Amino acid sequence: MTVTRAPARSAPVTSRPGLAAARLLRLELRHNAMLWMMPVAVALFWVTAERKIMATPPLWSLRAAGLQPDAVLAFASPVAGAAAWMGSRESRRRTTDLVNITARPRPVRLLATWAATTCWALVAYLVCVAVVYAVTAQQATWGGPLWWPAVVAAASLPAVSALGFAAGTLVPSRFTAPLVTIAAFFVLALSTQLINGSQSYWQISPVVAAPWDIGPDPGAGTFYPYQPDLPIAQVMFLTGLTVAVLGALTLSTGAGARSLRRSAVAVTAAGLLAAGTAVALAGTGRLDRHGMIAIPALHDAASDRPLRYTPVCSHTAIPVCLNPAYASYLPATAAALAPTLDQIAGLPGAPARISQAAVTYRQGPGNSVGFGLAGLPLSGVPPVFHLLLPVELPGPAVTTTEQASQVRSIIGPSIIASVTGDGPGASQAQHAVTTALLMAARAVPSHLLPPGTPTAGNSVPGPPPVAGTDGEPYVGAAPGSPAYAAAQRFAALPAAARRGWLVRHLAALRAGRLSLGQLP
Amino acid sequence: MTTGEARAAPATTSDAPQGTAPAVPPAATARAAPVTASAVPPATRPGAAPATASAVPPATRPGAAPAQAAGPGTPRPPRAGIRLVRLYATSRRIPAAVTVIMACAVGLRIALAGRWDTYGALQLPLVFETAAAAVVTATVASPLGEPERITGRWLPYLRLAATLALTAIAVGALAAAGTGAHLAGGTLDVLRNLAGLVGIGLLCAATIGGGLAWIGPVAFLLPGAYALYTQWHHPALTTPWLWPGRPPRDLGAAICAGLVFTAGLAVLTARGARDPADERD
Repeated sequence: MTVTRAPARSAPVTSRPGLAAARLLRLELRHNAMLWMMPVAVALFWVTAERKIMATPPLWSLRAAGLQPDAVLAFASPVAGAAAWMGSRESRRRTTDLVNITARPRPVRLLATWAATTCWALVAYLVCVAVVYAVTAQQATWGGPLWWPAVVAAASLPAVSALGFAAGTLVPSRFTAPLVTIAAFFVLALSTQLINGSQSYWQISPVVAAPWDIGPDPGAGTFYPYQPDLPIAQVMFLTGLTVAVLGALTLSTGAGARSLRRSAVAVTAAGLLAAGTAVALAGTGRLDRHGMIAIPALHDAASDRPLRYTPVCSHTAIPVCLNPAYASYLPATAAALAPTLDQIAGLPGAPARISQAAVTYRQGPGNSVGFGLAGLPLSGVPPVFHLLLPVELPGPAVTTTEQASQVRSIIGPSIIASVTGDGPGASQAQHAVTTALLMAARAVPSHLLPPGTPTAGNSVPGPPPVAGTDGEPYVGAAPGSPAYAAAQRFAALPAAARRGWLVRHLAALRAGRLSLGQLP
Repeated sequence: MTTGEARAAPATTSDAPQGTAPAVPPAATARAAPVTASAVPPATRPGAAPATASAVPPATRPGAAPAQAAGPGTPRPPRAGIRLVRLYATSRRIPAAVTVIMACAVGLRIALAGRWDTYGALQLPLVFETAAAAVVTATVASPLGEPERITGRWLPYLRLAATLALTAIAVGALAAAGTGAHLAGGTLDVLRNLAGLVGIGLLCAATIGGGLAWIGPVAFLLPGAYALYTQWHHPALTTPWLWPGRPPRDLGAAICAGLVFTAGLAVLTARGARDPADERD
């Protein structure tokens, strides 16, 4: 057979376009700047995000809510820069005319370059997520990973990559990549300044993982299911933005068949529509009572039901029971409360159990947010005292030592006050008995000690008891007052005598029928 | 001859300032000559970036011979020197860089007029300082690469002068933008941070290339902003090598930033950016 008689072989590119696209993607993956930017992105994540995330308590809700903004900020700049660099490659290497005559239309080639950049970015991001979640899985005592925050951060990478790539393609200059990189950081890190309250359109930013003004709620995923309303809107926005940018980039290249251009117009319009809808949805969000953003159009009422769990309890005189996600705090909490609980265990009206409760949030006027217990701290039959651990409350993270100190100084007096009926309108006898029991438990708050008294040993530091988290302010007897002297006398009694008197007179004391003179 | 062979030639020693002809062995000169000849076409190719005077063989440019022959120690006609500076500035996009730096200053001024919380007010100047530093370092990339390094004897001085001038312009512009407004850290902070960031960029230019030199300052932005953040949220980052997180009058931070700037400037002046010959901006 001669060469001229041989049947013509069809080119693999035209007969198997999928294979050709895969080959093109493989080539782009091998020659992509993001591959070399991956160590930079991972190092930035490790320096900035990992330290911050791992410093939070080992609760899935806190770790996931911290991962989302930190990962977005750590990856956005390198990804945007690498994408802009890749987008300007043809111009930089003066190969635009050379590749324009190839079989593949320019939009397809550009799409392959963008896809390769995004793939490497996602690979680096997923490695970081895997490490953070693996460490958290070893440390967390209950619950499972929250995937929505990780998905939002992942969805932000294609969007940032598309924006950077479009900038590099359309404005190929040596200044484009650095300026795009810094613009990405500026927009993402500082746009949150515009968020005001829970009904803000700016919550669509992927760095927002929780109500911006109060921070992530540790109760999400522990007491109540995680609400994915805002993450759904964010993913919708990011996907729409990605599609719109890529569609617009296809249009701007001015290449391709008419059908391709029509498709690009349709895709761009669909992307803009999705992004706009997501922004509008984010603006309808409101702070729900569990500390998460609820969007009515996306909200699932079933997620408002509390999660079922078996609490972990201590073996103190009155059991202290915590959510299993907080099991690591149980020994310190129980040790901090044990002296106080020893004083009231077995008394009529004393709580049968100390049980951890979820924080309830209330959106106040303007941008104010109130939080606390949903009901009375002491309720039920048999009575149960509901407590909020300091680590549950919005604000800076507290160490285990700080938490134990706050439990002793705030929750301990509140438990005793709930038994004696002490409070702002209580009698002097109630103030005296409460203070006496705290003296006996060696847990007197420092502000109730006489000036000059050493605070070590028999007192605990902390804020004034009126700042208690349970809504039941404890007053106590002021040093130097007759009530304080009566408290000192009562505390000096033998424990059995004190207990015997309380068993006989506690009901009258709670009713406010006893005076200071009737105390032993 | 490939570019790799050209780099291997000891002709790169001619990049250092010399008053006389470079002491290159005859064999090396013979190897380097064709490289220079083959690298000339970028100036004649359509769409090529403007070349500096020193990058073009003197035989092909009337009137350029005295400038080419003259070294740093010999007098040169003023017009030729001005032309050399103008061509160098054009090839490095220095006018565009100055425009972008001015835009950064205007942006900072506009941003300072807004209301920011503590985090925003502290991080805002750093973002604009990083942008200006990245622009300064982006100018060190050469569109001509090795041919220019071989033939351009005034390049070290031009690199030094251009970088110093742009850094000074950036510091002045950002400091002026903060005049009359609450610029966190003040002018001292701008000077220290910008100098250090430019130094990082120059070191990156010498190691990974002028085109990608912006990676250094931009990558430093995140730890810098994080260092500012950790002033309130422990664990704090307090090393003076993260100078943006230190007070403006902190001596250790100033020394670190100054060392990085000096090292970057010295390396760039002596060696120039590591640039491929086949890329332009």
